[in-house]
Amino acid sequence: MSLLREAEKCIANQHANGLNAFITPLPRAGQWLDRVREADRRRDQGKQKSILDGRLVAIKDNICTRELPTTCASGILDKFASPFNATVVDQLEDAGAIVAGKTNLDEFGMGSHSTNSRFGLVKNSRRDKDGQDLSAGGSSGGSAVAVAADQCYVALGTDTGGSVRLPAAYTGTVGFKPSYGLISRWGVVAYANSLDTVGVLGKTTSSVRDVFSILNHYDERDPTSISARSRSRINTHLQTSRLASRLTSTPLRIGVPLEYNISELAPSVRQAWLMSLAHLQEQGHTIKTVSLPATKHALSAYYVLAPAEASSNLAKYDGVRYGTRHDGPDNDGNSDSYLYSNTRGHGFGPEVQRRILLGTFSLSADAMDNYFIQAQRVRRLVQQDFDSVFHASNPLATNDLDAGRPGSGDDVDVLVCPTAPSPPPRLSDITGNSAGSSPLNAYVNDVFTVPASLAGLPAISVPVTVTGSNQDTGTDGMTGIQVIGQYGDDELVMQVGEILESRQFVGSP
Amino acid sequence: MLRPWLSSGAVRALSRAPRSLRPILIPRNNFSSASNLQIDRVPLRKQLKQDAKSLKAQKKQRKENEEASRQEWELTVGVEIHAQLDTAAKLFSRAATSTSATPNSNVALFDLAFPGSQPKFQPATLLPALRAAIALNCQIQPVSRFDRKHYFYQDQPSGYQITQYYEPFARNGYIDLFDYDGIAPEDGERVRIDIQQVQMEQDTAKSQEYPGPTSTQLLDFNRVSHPLIEIITLPQIHSPATAAACVRKLQSILQACGAVTTGMELGGLRADINVSIRRRSEVLGGLGQRTEIKNLSSFKAVEDAIIAEKNRQIAVLESGGKVLGETRGWTIGSTETHLLRGKEGAVDYRYMPDPDIPPLVIGEDLITRLQESLPMAPDTLLLQLIGPEYGLPIEDAKPLIELDDGARLEYYQDVVDILHKNGLDKSTKAVLARMAGNWVLHELGGLLTKADQTWHADIVPAQSLADLIDHLKRGLVTGPMAKQVLASIFDGDRRPVPQLLEEDNLLLRPLSREEYISLAESAIALNPKMVEQIRGKQLGKLGWFVGQMMRMGEKGRVEAPKAEMILRELILGEKA
Repeated sequence: MSLLREAEKCIANQHANGLNAFITPLPRAGQWLDRVREADRRRDQGKQKSILDGRLVAIKDNICTRELPTTCASGILDKFASPFNATVVDQLEDAGAIVAGKTNLDEFGMGSHSTNSRFGLVKNSRRDKDGQDLSAGGSSGGSAVAVAADQCYVALGTDTGGSVRLPAAYTGTVGFKPSYGLISRWGVVAYANSLDTVGVLGKTTSSVRDVFSILNHYDERDPTSISARSRSRINTHLQTSRLASRLTSTPLRIGVPLEYNISELAPSVRQAWLMSLAHLQEQGHTIKTVSLPATKHALSAYYVLAPAEASSNLAKYDGVRYGTRHDGPDNDGNSDSYLYSNTRGHGFGPEVQRRILLGTFSLSADAMDNYFIQAQRVRRLVQQDFDSVFHASNPLATNDLDAGRPGSGDDVDVLVCPTAPSPPPRLSDITGNSAGSSPLNAYVNDVFTVPASLAGLPAISVPVTVTGSNQDTGTDGMTGIQVIGQYGDDELVMQVGEILESRQFVGSP
Repeated sequence: MLRPWLSSGAVRALSRAPRSLRPILIPRNNFSSASNLQIDRVPLRKQLKQDAKSLKAQKKQRKENEEASRQEWELTVGVEIHAQLDTAAKLFSRAATSTSATPNSNVALFDLAFPGSQPKFQPATLLPALRAAIALNCQIQPVSRFDRKHYFYQDQPSGYQITQYYEPFARNGYIDLFDYDGIAPEDGERVRIDIQQVQMEQDTAKSQEYPGPTSTQLLDFNRVSHPLIEIITLPQIHSPATAAACVRKLQSILQACGAVTTGMELGGLRADINVSIRRRSEVLGGLGQRTEIKNLSSFKAVEDAIIAEKNRQIAVLESGGKVLGETRGWTIGSTETHLLRGKEGAVDYRYMPDPDIPPLVIGEDLITRLQESLPMAPDTLLLQLIGPEYGLPIEDAKPLIELDDGARLEYYQDVVDILHKNGLDKSTKAVLARMAGNWVLHELGGLLTKADQTWHADIVPAQSLADLIDHLKRGLVTGPMAKQVLASIFDGDRRPVPQLLEEDNLLLRPLSREEYISLAESAIALNPKMVEQIRGKQLGKLGWFVGQMMRMGEKGRVEAPKAEMILRELILGEKA
């Protein structure tokens, strides 16, 4: 199929269904068509710029694009057009890719179901047995659905606490969050800078890898981008024989974190996890249980740290220099009331307001020590937990870069666990006034994804399917399984993901 | 001059708000009971004299009051200085710094807090900051970090200022203040003020009220993220004069080491002052509750605001009240600080480490290099100027260092360098250096004042002044003539001095002894009575005869010392 034909099919899909994956879809006609035709010509001549040449890449709408608006699904930026492209957008376009439109999300990335959007909620392309609409996961739900529903070839999302992996798990796609600092954040609208990463969503790990290899470069505009020197140091480290042999000549030691086996785990998810582990064992790999004791505090730490940074990052939205300013005076016309209260009060949705308030509180002088500082300590512990179970040492944590600690035999190469504790919930359960709609319930969905974010580790969610099981709660039996690796082990994580990707397991009735 | 002021402004203000006038320095009795008519009848000269006298009396009274309250109350002051660093780029973007560019012409995406933009620390901005910290004897921290200080205001685009709150780049410095720096007499010859920390931070945008029916603010983002340093002293100052001296000295040190763009008068330096008081009988307890006076923009404002705030606090405590932890403001010319923010309105800045900006790592080698290349400190400079090499009086040396952001000193040095070119002996060099000091400071300074002109080194080229002094020293031109020549150069005569003197026939053609005698005799003949008086030991009247001779003789040729010599010879019979 020609690239043009492929692209036209994607655009038709974008405009056809009511999943609301895009805030700004690509218009049917436009200059992009010529660029795809040129890419087709290059492909015929064997002169493709890259595997993405002429392919449509959907961009989450919190990543800046010069050509299309960048709204962050927020009322305060509902008409905002960025004057510049994010580095990742430039990198993709240089590789010949076409921006396939801007995808819907939870406002500023804050949410787990892509329902907190000024432009309406995103619907999962999967439905449950009763035909009920399901959550697409969040916050990169639009990107995940765009991939799942063939509205683009691949998509970029952002992952702060699981925002790429959770939607991938819910939509049955592959979602990859690289090690923190490998992909440039210049032009990525900050939610919580110390956790934010650009992630990739695709139908297959292989397509995700193609995108990642285009984006995985130092960018001097992002002060947290890993320098070329550190990158080469990490590569050298990974090429030491013990690490290089993993999966090629040495079978893997797969870690199963005990703390992830929570009572709230849905039976279908537990079954998929067990069968995935069994599959890996059949491939000759060793399964080991490990303990990550700080895990139980990780979620609370995340919901202190991310809102704290968010409250700071979102202070810039005042409608003065850009963005939407509320009509009338900035305050109630009363000189004693607060500056910008009208603009910010109307521009931000309830979840964003909730997190700004949370963060404002936890950074306040009286609460700082008990919340922000404690949460930072927990973050350290989470990181130490991971470092203590991985065979490979953390290249950023120490200068002592031997191939690993003298193996006690207890350490592991990767961790395998579920991406989310349950299958995607019904949208009606989330958005209504039922018990399931409380924000705290939504926060629980992030319990397995947040630890890797806190430690800045690479993690991938791949879909596996369990058929013929009674435990299926009403979906098509698809579950997201997560692979987490040591910092810099992005390639290994993708390789293990590939082993599991799209496996069909036959469950016990 | 005084009358229109009294009859219009003050009297009108008096009728409008009588109490607000009480603290004004002009004596009350001038207008409190007297009517305009009565004032009109007082002769102006007499009235001015009365005013001066009563002002003096008031000053004396105030001094006594201050001393009395000083005996009872101990004042404690801490100083925070914000100084604009002299850098080409902003702190976190490549945009240029500017003070006079078209508004909003020097702004990068990050300066405007555009979504998705990130800070990029500009290492070059560290150099002036380090020079300042070294000059202030600080310990430079090998690792420091940047934090966000949050508050909403239209001049703060990101909703926070990036500063160094938790881990500043320099700590534990000090500054020595000497008697010649103008510290209070009770502080003796020297007082050392410890500097708690020096931190780097961003400046804000300039906002300006736009006149009109609706409240409109104009914003210029050129200044946003201009690098600043904040210098925080410990609360170790106990008098308003010493506090002002401290700020003045901080400014001169910052200027001397090339850290800052401009001084206070041009807004390059701003001071916040913490003030507290406690009874001397209770100094064993902690310090009293402090208040903060924000944004003082002159040395005088620093001193006046502290005096006012101290007196306010004393009045509050003496009337049984409590000093509250407030932020207060000061208007120039005022006599009272005013409330800006009460304690309950205090802002919680929610300091948070900036997650985007890596730690600042400063190497020992850089510090060493900067230490070696640091220009001379003002104190060392002063010692040198009053030392044998230059021989300036201290009251000349100080203004020379302080005037025009150091430009006057540079000019002085240029003049001296030209004069010293000819490899002279030490004592001649010192004489020339002293003469140059006098001419640069007083003669040239006088012309500037008279013309109400600001300093520029090109008004009188250093070469011209040096030539003039050289001619004077070699007796080729008289003092009065040299002054006259300076004035014409000042007014734009661009001819080289030797040419100017030659063409205008101004070189001294010395009079012969006979010519002096004939001049003297004519003068004496006209005033025989004076001669008697002089012989009767009224030697002061000799000068009058000298003046007569200079007036009678050819312009610029009569040299006063020679004239006096001849007069003494003729009148008193003294032999040369």
